[in-house]
Formats: sequence, C-alpha cells, structure tokens
Amino acid sequence: MNALILSAVLGVIMMFSGVMLKQKSAVRNIAITGLFLLLVVNILEMSGMSFFRINTAGMMHFDRFSLLFNCIVFFSTFVYLLLSARDIEKTGNYYAEYFTLIFFILCGVILVSSFQSLLILFLGIEIISIPLYILTGSDKKNLKSNEASLKYFLLGAFSTGLMLMGIALIYGSVGSFSTAQINMTEKPGALMIAGMILLLFSMSFKVSAAPFHFWTPDVYDGAPTVFTSFMATIVKVAAFIAFIRLFGEAFGNLQPQWQIWIALITAATLFIGNITAVFQQSVKRMLAYSSIAQAGFMLLSLYAMNADAKEGLLLYSAAYSLATIGIFAVLIKMNDYTFDGFNGLAKYQPLLAATTTIFLLSLAGIPLTAGFISKFYMLKAAVATGRHLWLVIFAVLMAAVSVYYYFRVIQAMYFKEGQPGIITTSPVFKYTLVVLAALIIILGIFPNLLLNWYYF
Amino acid sequence: MIYLLQGNLSVSDSGSYLPVAIQVLFVVGLIALLIFLTHILGPKRKTADKLQSFASGIESHGDARQPMAIKYFLTAILFVLFDVEVIFFYPYAVIFKELGWNGFLAVLMFVGFFLCGFIYILKKGALKWED
Amino acid sequence: MQNALQIAWLIPLFPLLGFLINGLGRKHLSKSAIGVIGSGVILASFVMSIWVFLQVKDGNTHVADYFNFISVGDLSIPFAFQLDQLSSLFLLIITGVGFLIHVYSASYMHEEKTEHFGRYFSYLNLFVFSMLLLVMGGNYVIMFIGWEGVGLCSYLLIGYWFKKAEYNKAANKAFIMNRIGDLAFLIAIFWIIKKVGNVNYHDVFQFAGENKFSTADITGITLLLFVGATGKSAQIPLYTWLPDAMAGPTPVSALIHAATMVTAGIYMIARSNVLYSLSHTTMNIVAIVGLATALLAATIALKQNDIKKVLAYSTVSQLGFMFLALGTGAYVAAVFHVMTHAFFKALLFLGSGSVIHAMGGEQDIRNMGGLSKKLSVTYFTFLVGCIAIAGIPPFSGFFSKDAILLSAFEKSPVLYGIALFTALLTAFYMFRLLFITFSGKFRGTHEQEHHLHESPAAMTIPLIILAVLSIIGGFVGIPEALMHGGDKLSAFLSPVIKPHEGTPVSHSTEYGLMALSTVLVIAMIIAAWFKFRNYQRSEAAGFGKVLENKWYVDELYDKIIVNPLNKFGGFLNSFIEKFVIDGVVNGVGRIVNYSSRQLRLLQSGQVGSYIFLMVLSMLVVFVLQFFLRK
Repeated sequence: MNALILSAVLGVIMMFSGVMLKQKSAVRNIAITGLFLLLVVNILEMSGMSFFRINTAGMMHFDRFSLLFNCIVFFSTFVYLLLSARDIEKTGNYYAEYFTLIFFILCGVILVSSFQSLLILFLGIEIISIPLYILTGSDKKNLKSNEASLKYFLLGAFSTGLMLMGIALIYGSVGSFSTAQINMTEKPGALMIAGMILLLFSMSFKVSAAPFHFWTPDVYDGAPTVFTSFMATIVKVAAFIAFIRLFGEAFGNLQPQWQIWIALITAATLFIGNITAVFQQSVKRMLAYSSIAQAGFMLLSLYAMNADAKEGLLLYSAAYSLATIGIFAVLIKMNDYTFDGFNGLAKYQPLLAATTTIFLLSLAGIPLTAGFISKFYMLKAAVATGRHLWLVIFAVLMAAVSVYYYFRVIQAMYFKEGQPGIITTSPVFKYTLVVLAALIIILGIFPNLLLNWYYF
Repeated sequence: MIYLLQGNLSVSDSGSYLPVAIQVLFVVGLIALLIFLTHILGPKRKTADKLQSFASGIESHGDARQPMAIKYFLTAILFVLFDVEVIFFYPYAVIFKELGWNGFLAVLMFVGFFLCGFIYILKKGALKWED
Repeated sequence: MQNALQIAWLIPLFPLLGFLINGLGRKHLSKSAIGVIGSGVILASFVMSIWVFLQVKDGNTHVADYFNFISVGDLSIPFAFQLDQLSSLFLLIITGVGFLIHVYSASYMHEEKTEHFGRYFSYLNLFVFSMLLLVMGGNYVIMFIGWEGVGLCSYLLIGYWFKKAEYNKAANKAFIMNRIGDLAFLIAIFWIIKKVGNVNYHDVFQFAGENKFSTADITGITLLLFVGATGKSAQIPLYTWLPDAMAGPTPVSALIHAATMVTAGIYMIARSNVLYSLSHTTMNIVAIVGLATALLAATIALKQNDIKKVLAYSTVSQLGFMFLALGTGAYVAAVFHVMTHAFFKALLFLGSGSVIHAMGGEQDIRNMGGLSKKLSVTYFTFLVGCIAIAGIPPFSGFFSKDAILLSAFEKSPVLYGIALFTALLTAFYMFRLLFITFSGKFRGTHEQEHHLHESPAAMTIPLIILAVLSIIGGFVGIPEALMHGGDKLSAFLSPVIKPHEGTPVSHSTEYGLMALSTVLVIAMIIAAWFKFRNYQRSEAAGFGKVLENKWYVDELYDKIIVNPLNKFGGFLNSFIEKFVIDGVVNGVGRIVNYSSRQLRLLQSGQVGSYIFLMVLSMLVVFVLQFFLRK
C-alpha cells in the first residue's frame, strides 16, 4: 500500500515538476530519487512497516509474493532510469511527462501484482496499457512510432474487449468479482469456462504469447528504444505476475481445463519466438522476438503452477528484466541497430562489450548466470507436474536454438572487424552496467539471496 | 452443443433469464415494427436536396475530412472529461449524511486530485485559445 | 596433513584469478608478465593437486560442502566439491599437462599482439578453471556448470583467430554440437532429480546401489548421459566438430584434445560407473558406438594430409577406444588410457606445433619431409609419441591399449578383432605421418627451408617432459600378468570404481594377445616405413619400380588392404561425414532457417490480418474446448 500511494503521488509530482522546473537534470534527479524512495518504502512494508491502514474490502492483498515482486520491479526501474534517463529526455519535448507516465504504469503494476478482485485486475491492466500507448507514440515526428502506437492501441483495445467480456461472463456465472469466490465454484458451467478462456486469451495478449504475439515485434520495433526496453521488461513481467495470480487464485481448481491450453500456447510461443528470432537482421527486432521466446519460458511457470513455479517466476523476472534492460541500454547508445552495427565493439568499447556479453549469456541460459538458474527453476517446476514431459524437452531444445541468435551478437562484437558508431557514455552509465553484470552473476551463483526474501 | 446447453442449466435457474429474453424479444419486435410502419406509412419524396447531408440548416460545402485545429478536440474532450467526473457528485449528494466525515474526506481527496489535473492543464496551456 | 582437502577450493580458484588478472590487465601487463601469471596459476593448482593426491592416496575421500547453491521446494543442491581418487587423478592430468601446455604457449604465441596474448591466456585459464570445476564438482549440477563452461571456452579459443570467417564457423559448429549433447545431459539431470530427488553423487549412487531405479529409468538416464558424453568427447554422430576445431592455435588443440574437454565425457561415465553397470543395454551401445567411432576415425585418418587433421582423427579414434573400454565395463582401463593419451597426444600436438612453427605456418605434410635433421628434438619426441600411441612395449600406450583390448576380448572375440584391427591402423597412419614429415627429402619452398629451425627451449622442454612421461607413464598400470601387484591404478581407484568383474583370462592367453598385437604393430610400422620413407608428392611416380618389385607383398597389401581402405576412408570422409552427418546437422539448421523465413511472413504488419489470425485461433480453441473435449 505504501508504494501504491507513493507512486501515484510521485506521478503527480513529476507532472508538476515539468511545469515548474526549467532544468531537465532537476526533473531527472527527482524521478530517480522518487524511485529510490519507492523502493525504500516497499522494503519497509515488507519488514512490517505499513504507513497506511486502508480497508480495501478484500479487493487487494499485499502478501510477500507481491511485495517481493514489486521490489524487483522498482529495482529494475531504478536501474533502468540510471542507465537510460538521459535517453528518455531525448525522445521528445515532454520529458517530465514520460517520467510521470512511468510512475503511473508502476501504479498499475502494483495493482496487478496484488489484486484479489477481477475489477482491480482490469483497472491495473488498463492503467498499465494506456500510458504505454502514449509512450509508444512519444516520438511524434517518427512515422514508425506513430504507426506502432496506433497498432498497439487498436489491438490492445481488442484484447481489453476480450477481457471485459470474460469478466462479465464469469460475473454472470459466479456473481462475484472476488478471485477466492470464483475459485470456490463447485460445478463450473460453460459460461464460466468460456469466461476463463477469454481471460486466458487477453492475458496471453498482454504477455505476448503466441498466437496473440503479433503486436509485439511491430510495436517493440516502432516504439522509441528506451520505451521498448521498459515495455519488454518491467511491463511484461508484471503481466506475468497478473497472469499467474489470476490462474492460480481464481482458476486454480480448474487447472485440468486450462493446463493443456497453456501447454500448447507455451510450445507455440517458444517455437515462434525462437525460430523467428533466428532470421532477424536488426538487433532490436531480434530482442523483440527474444522477449517472446523468454515469455514462452515464463509460461512454463504458469503451466506448472506449483510452489517452485512461483519462486521461479520471481527469479526469472529479475534475471530477465535486468539482463534485457542492460542490453537495451547499450543498444540505445548504438547508431546502427543491425547485427553488423555491433561489429568490433569489443575493440573500441571493451567494457560495454564485456557486460553485454554477460547479459546475452544470461538470456541464453549459460550456467553461472542468473538466466541459467531461472531457466532451471522453470524446467524443474514443469518436470514436477509429471505431465506433458514433451513440453520440457521442447523447451530445452528451443533454448538451444536461442543460443544461435544471442551468440550472433557476441560474435559480431568480438570476432568481427568494424568501427561501431557509438555515442559517448557517462561514467555512471558504465558503473551501473558493471554492477548490473555483477548482479546477474551473483544471482546465478546465489539465487537464494533473492529467494530468501520470499520466506522470512 | 448439448454440452453447452447443459452447462447453462447447471449454472443457474433458466427462469432467471426469462425476463431478459422477453425484453430482448420486445426490443427487437418494437424496432422492427417501427421501421416497418414508417416505411409503409411515410410519404416518399425523392429529391436531390433530400440526399444531401443535413447540417443545422446551413448548406454544406467542401470536404468533411479537412484538418482542423487540435484545440477543438482538446476543449471538447476536456469538457467531456470534467462533465463525466461531476456525475460522481450526484450519488454523493444523496447519501452524504450516511457517509459522514470519512466520506467527506474521500470526496475532498477526489476533488483535490481533480484540481491538480485542472491546474496542470491550465499550466500546460491546453485551454489557451490564442497561440 | 588433513588440511589439503580443506583448502582444495584453491585449485580452481587459482586459474580463475589468472583469468581475471590476465583478462582485465591485458592492455597493461607485459607479455612476459602475462605468461608468468598464466602459467604460474596453473602450476600453483598443480602443486595443490599433488598435495590432494597424496591425501587421497590411502583411500581418503572428502566431500567439501560450501554453500547451498539451489534450493527449490524439497530439492537442495549444494555447491560441493568431491575429492576422491578419480577426481584427484584427473586433477593431476589437467593441471600437470595443462601447465606444460601453458609454458609452451607462452613461447608459441609470442608473436601475437600483447592485447591478444592476454586474451589468449585469460581464455586458457578460464578453460582450465571450467574443467577443474567439472571434475571436482560433488554433484551433477556442478559438473554441468563446468561442462558448459568448457564448451564456452572452446568456442572462444577455437575462434581465437577470428579474422577468418571459416574459423568462426568452426567455433560455432563446436559450440552448437556441444550444446546438443548438453541438452541430453540436462534432461538426464532432471530425470535423476525426479527419481532420486537429489543430484549428489553419493545419494544417486546409493539409490542406484539399492536397486531402486527401474530398468527403463536407468537405461534412459544412462543413455541421455551418454549422448551428452558423445557431444563433448566427439563420438558418432557428434564428432565432426573436433577435426574442424583444429582452427584454433595448436596449443589449444593440445589442451582440448589431450588434457581437457574431450576427456570430460569419459570422466562423466567413469564417475557414473555405478549407474552404467546397471544397464546392459547402454553398456552395449557405448561399446559399439565407441568401437565404430574408433574404426571410422582411423580409416579417415589414413587419407589426411594436414598434420593436425591426422592427429585430430587419431584423437577421435582413441576416444572411441576409451568408450569401448567403458562399454565393456573396464572403467579403470578407460581412465588409464585417458592418462596415457593425455601424455602422448599432448606431446604429438605440441610436436606438430613445433613443426608448424618451424615451417612458418605450413600444415600440409606433403610440403614437408626430411625435417629430422633440422628439428632433432622435435623429431625424437614425436617418435616417442608415435611409438606410444602405436602401442609398443614398454611405452605407455601399450599398457593402456592392452588393457582395453583385453577387456574387449573378455567380452567377445569379434570386438577384440575389430579393436585390434583399428589399433593396427593407428600404428600405420601415425607412422605414415611421422615418415612423411620427418624422413625423405624436403619438399617445401626454399624460403621455408632456409627458415627451418629448432624451437626455443620453452617449447622443447615441455616436449621432453611429455616424452619421458609417455615412456614411463604406463608403469602405473602394468597388468597383473607381467608383474605381480603391478596394477597400481585399479587398486588406487578401487574406492570409486569397483574392480572389474568378468571372466578373467588366463595369463598365457594374455601373453599371447600381447605378443600378437605387438608383432602386428611392428609389422605395420615396417610396412609404413617402406611405403613412406621416401614419400613423393605425386603418388604414382613416388614408388620406384625396384621397390615395387622387391616388395611384392607390400604391393599386394597395398592393393588388397590399403587401397580399398583408402577409398573407403575417402568415401567415409566425403560421403558419410560430409553428406550424412553434416547433412543431418546442417539440415536441422536449414529447417530452422526455412521456418524462420516462413514464420516471418505471418508478421505482415496489417492490424486486420493480426486480428483475423487471433480470432481464428480463438475459434479453434473454443471449438476444441466445448465440442471435442470430454
């Protein structure tokens, strides 16, 4: 609750700071400080210090899972701002508004990570989506950005329609929005099942799972790269948390009904994401497909839906977000987004190349990185269900395919000659990258550092 | 299909949907009837004038899809926005005694946020008509 | 003296430190500093390994449990090292041979730029670190981490000279083929977790010892582990990366082929011997695959003209022998062969490096010849290596190969026959290589002839040390038949590997087999001597009429055995390898590429078509859910 209220207030503060303050750096510093505060109050709440006592009438519940997830989100956003705040400012004239929208999105993230009622879920999803439509189109002069924004809006509206229809059907059959109530339904009828499947579709859309992924490459490619980074990481993992909470808490007893669909969606997502990424020429577009592929892996936790899966998803969201934010931060600095643009980076910017390599290794799931451990948890959780082992084998195979396109970047950086055009980077940027890379390796060796928070 | 029907029955009593069904039938029937009646009874005069679009009695000219200043949209949308928000005061007006001070504080907060938004758009110059 | 085992974590730590120092300081350190640091850390590890070896010699074992690496639900995987006889033996091989290779590298790579020199040594140290992790790990997950690390480093090192696109391809091939094997390994780990609930060697083997695995489980797990091993240890069908991996600098080839990487698969199976002994099916498959690889690679090696390619195929062939030993249950013989092979193969590779160095980068043996006069040290050490690999007593290769042949004989005379035949081929092609390279007349350019020189001491001293080891290394495993109480190695390894069970062969039969193989090998060498001592580039004119007439037997042999074999080798090389195996591997790649293109077309950019596809899939789901399920 602390973080929810603070992030809303911070959003308003950012709004006014754009009007009142004339200096860009002041606005940026307020945003970074605000995010740090957000992280602090959230940690305080985790250790039992809640500043507000508000009766949410059972619509929200801040448990350890959601609080820890929020910590991960705030930390990732904090790192994201440290790395890319200057690039956010460069996108357009309304620099303070971009930060405002990011804080409002965080509000939505908090809602979807702690909802107990379908209403709050819907509100949260919309609070996340609408600012994103704006951010996607924030590069007003760029036709691609505008196109992406419109596409995102149209398709997003379509999925919102599906979600509302689903919620309406469920309300019609259960008579309640409360997830606990829905889960207690003894004999689910066709209405309920249909509603659940509609929710499954719309959530699949939000996490860009196949065959609802079509918007992802176009939007990620068209949006300004700084915001692609935000969308592909923080927003995506938030949608996953909503997904796993919804299907765990509201439809947990219906698992036999939806498990096969999730399994099929997972397989399709892994297949389409990984296979299509192979053929891309632009690193940015490759990362868009890679985010689909990684979503496929995260879907395994949904498929498994056991204790391992929840832990694994937390770990996965941290590992995936941090690594992807790092890669995007480097990508933004490049002049040329194709694979060839990375040629010879190791020679001119050894530090950038080395940290990017660690991020890529983590995404590819090479041991001693956080990416490996989180993939391991996912597969472990899926194996523990004891059914559909083909899915696990398929996932492992697809992970092997992913090595190909991640290593293409490493190969370009280290094994090819070239002169990458790169914008100069500040020391803070470099230090943050190094810390990020170190974190990924530390998490890869001591994953319990993160997961212990879940228990005590 | 049979499964679908069975599902329906198991959810709730089919009787509860009866009023809904009657209403649907009534609505559809009424509309069909009205269209049918106007079609039969109304006089028909087909002139070129009648096929033109009607714009408050003024003769229309030019293409409708012309670029228009964004200010019109902005003002209109802001109007709608504030108009809709005001609707929330009606229910409050009815039960403000029952809600007591807590309710008052909540509405005050609502107005406060509202005011913030208003100040923001003023400062941003969204309502400034001249450039 | 208990403390060596307590501080064993220093062993992998040293190379890691070396990696960090050399990697970070590659622009600031001088070449000699990099060389000293790079080799010094390995030496430190070697010293530690000896200490550990002395500790475990009397049957001590130690599992050092550092921290809880992964804990999911009721599964907990500790970060633990297991120090026992098997791992300490591998530690000695890796750090000992690795140290010599490092010293050699410091001289061999001296012409590289300082920055690249530092990069090279940091990779090399990281490689050794990964391999140590693999060997010391106390459970399958730690082994897997080292396993992947080795794959990654091999990728970096094979692609070290990255300016040539071909080399990059070789690096990619090595890495991806390894990954295919790794997947099987990973699935096997999951299977073990599912059944045992744990991946610690101790628990898994105890579980297996109590016969709690079902036959299907144990066969599945061991087969998957074996597939993992075929990737790393270059067996059919995943062996083609190894010959291509010659693209890396020669010392790297030596490190990959002799001391590390390829022996990982052998180590894994030897470590899991308790599991393997439970599954006869897997054992038979291992033996057959091993033998088939040994034969295939040996026939291909007959035709190769690149000095490093011959050695590469010979490595594949020798690894096949080791798998044959594993498959016939002679785990000790396999480990023994790993050890002797490490000595002589490192020797041969470093020797070939010395030759290439002297020839100014030339690798084609047809352009060499008569090098024995100019490169005397290299020549003699190379000769020792060839004798050792051919298996002439009392050189080390004889004893280990003999142990493998013996275990094959115990299993079935057919296996023995094929294995013996392969061993003869080994002798033949190795001496062909030796004679073409070192005897006869020089066939290179004048410039090269002028440039010929013996390598510096930093390169020849490792050669000499390895030559000595290749000569005497076999005595740790003298068979019981030759010396009472001779087989020290199996006694040493007995806590980890149960003594070989099989119908023991009588000593007289054993003598007979040894004599047979020795005589045949010597005959092969003589044949090679007459055929290749005056090798000329054009093969038809290469043989004087006198020689042909005088050695009619040789001619006959040539017609009946060598020519068909050459053709068969060529056929295998061009057809089976290029067409079938590469075809399958490339085919998979092509399918991925093709479907990638096709899938891309779905992404039309039209919102309408997106919505159409989405609605279509929703309809399918609804229809299936409501009308077809139940």
